[in-house]
Amino acid sequence: MAELQKAEIVGTPALNGTYISEMDIWPLETQEFNRIYPFYDNLRAGKFTTTKCKKCGHIAYPPQVICPKCWSDELDWVELPQRAKVVTFTETQAGAPLGFDSPLIIAWLTFGDKSPLKHLLGRIVNCKEGELKDGDEVKFVTFSVPAHPIEVKKDTKVCERVFYAFERVK
Amino acid sequence: MAQKKNAVIVGGGTSKFGVRQAHLLDMVQEAAKACADDIPGLKPTDIDGLIIATTMAGRHSSALNTAPLVVHRLGLRPTSICIRVDTLCAGSNSAIIIAKGLVESGIADVILVTGGEKVYMPQRWETNYTQLAVNDHDWDSAMGLGVPPPFFAMIAKMHMKRYGTTKEQMAHVSVTNYGYGEGHTNGHFAGRTLTMEQALEARLIADPFGLYDCCPLSDGASAVIVASEERAKAMSNRPLVYLRGTGQHATHSMSAGWPGETLAEWPHLNKAAQVAYKNAKLTPKDIDVAQTHDCFTISEIIELEELGFCKKGEGGAFVASGEIGINGTIPTNTDGGLLVYGHPFGASGARQAIEICKQLQGRAIHQVKDAAFGLTHNLSGTCAQHTVVVYGKEPVK
Ligand SMILES: [Zn+2]
Repeated sequence: MAELQKAEIVGTPALNGTYISEMDIWPLETQEFNRIYPFYDNLRAGKFTTTKCKKCGHIAYPPQVICPKCWSDELDWVELPQRAKVVTFTETQAGAPLGFDSPLIIAWLTFGDKSPLKHLLGRIVNCKEGELKDGDEVKFVTFSVPAHPIEVKKDTKVCERVFYAFERVK
Repeated sequence: MAQKKNAVIVGGGTSKFGVRQAHLLDMVQEAAKACADDIPGLKPTDIDGLIIATTMAGRHSSALNTAPLVVHRLGLRPTSICIRVDTLCAGSNSAIIIAKGLVESGIADVILVTGGEKVYMPQRWETNYTQLAVNDHDWDSAMGLGVPPPFFAMIAKMHMKRYGTTKEQMAHVSVTNYGYGEGHTNGHFAGRTLTMEQALEARLIADPFGLYDCCPLSDGASAVIVASEERAKAMSNRPLVYLRGTGQHATHSMSAGWPGETLAEWPHLNKAAQVAYKNAKLTPKDIDVAQTHDCFTISEIIELEELGFCKKGEGGAFVASGEIGINGTIPTNTDGGLLVYGHPFGASGARQAIEICKQLQGRAIHQVKDAAFGLTHNLSGTCAQHTVVVYGKEPVK
């Protein structure tokens, strides 16, 4: 009886097994849902890119639809440096958000004075707790993240996705 | 053109903060009741405007358009303004800035500014998970940045590295604030005390933070009345507490836009403070009591520096030498602050305003002698925006 009752705790039956984008931890990366989708296409090709203003030359991050300096909408895609240095970092054993494995290592990265992207908060993957040190060099890596469906008339289109993080240069 | 009016804070109250067996709207009703109890001359029919500050309402309480729900539950009939605002941890402080402008311009006369959050859900994972949606979701959150301790732990490490700040100095903040929390029965950790030994021996949350270096996430609500000077006089005999000056400064949402040389410098807070001081025609030296956003002990230390109460880099020594105590140069978080009273994001700014109001009216539980000018400050997001409000017993002339 107790087991039967537990099996009946379904919460929101109407949603069982349904993809809920409002609860998604990853971006909606496809062309149907944003105008900076080339960023994700470039990720798939192993490139770390962003937008550069044709008018004033400003390089923004994240990539934009208009330049945040001069509001021009004439932008190009350019590559960013793929290597950075760890300034400081934090390791989370307990309490990482659902969807992120422990230890969750997040670092404050610096890309150097010459980089248009000065600093970034980056996840460090493929790294054991206690392994990372201040001053370590890290490199950009990409990986696939769960796909999601989009309704296209009566069909369902599956959108494969990708994201990026950093790992130690050994 | 009509002459500009003066806006004042009349009084206010909070619900019990903590892990509550209550709906968001229940707690907003408790806060409104506490506000009315604090201002015996206030009649609900006096209120012509409502601003509710909340962030989690849309997700956790399924209440995206929150203001009409509050109108119904409180029996209000607003005619000047009826809105929800969301600037996360600065929600009700932002609402106070809006209320000031509306009252000074004559658009509104008596505004109920309330803020509240229902943070805790039937299953605990959901609270942490929702935090992914309050940061820059597609960028920083996708790196795993959810709850604040990891980010502020990096800030603390940076401040320790650059300025020699120590864990002992950080513990002075939590021990001081626990002292101030005494007597505030609606606080999340009401009735608890803290010694230096307990603070330093507490279990690690995120290096270098122990348990007491971090404020709790709380369910709760707060409410204050912002009114014109004339209407305030009609409902209360207490000394008037004027909204003298405000500043709100945002520079970015995502880590790539961080404005400081390192994480230990917060130039955007310095800027917000300068704007507020200028509008208030005051300097840091004039401020007698402050409520700053002590989400972590290191936050209060950096805020004291950037608000101009001590030199940059000297915040650690400043708190350790007792300057934030009741007889210090700037008694800070005199109701226990976020660390002890708790932190229901949208409710915190109004909670701070209540304490400054009481301090300037001479009726605080831990009263700062002859307090004439006070300040409140909230940071919000991943330390992306800063909100500063300056109060005084005299209006700006
Ligand atoms: Zn431009």
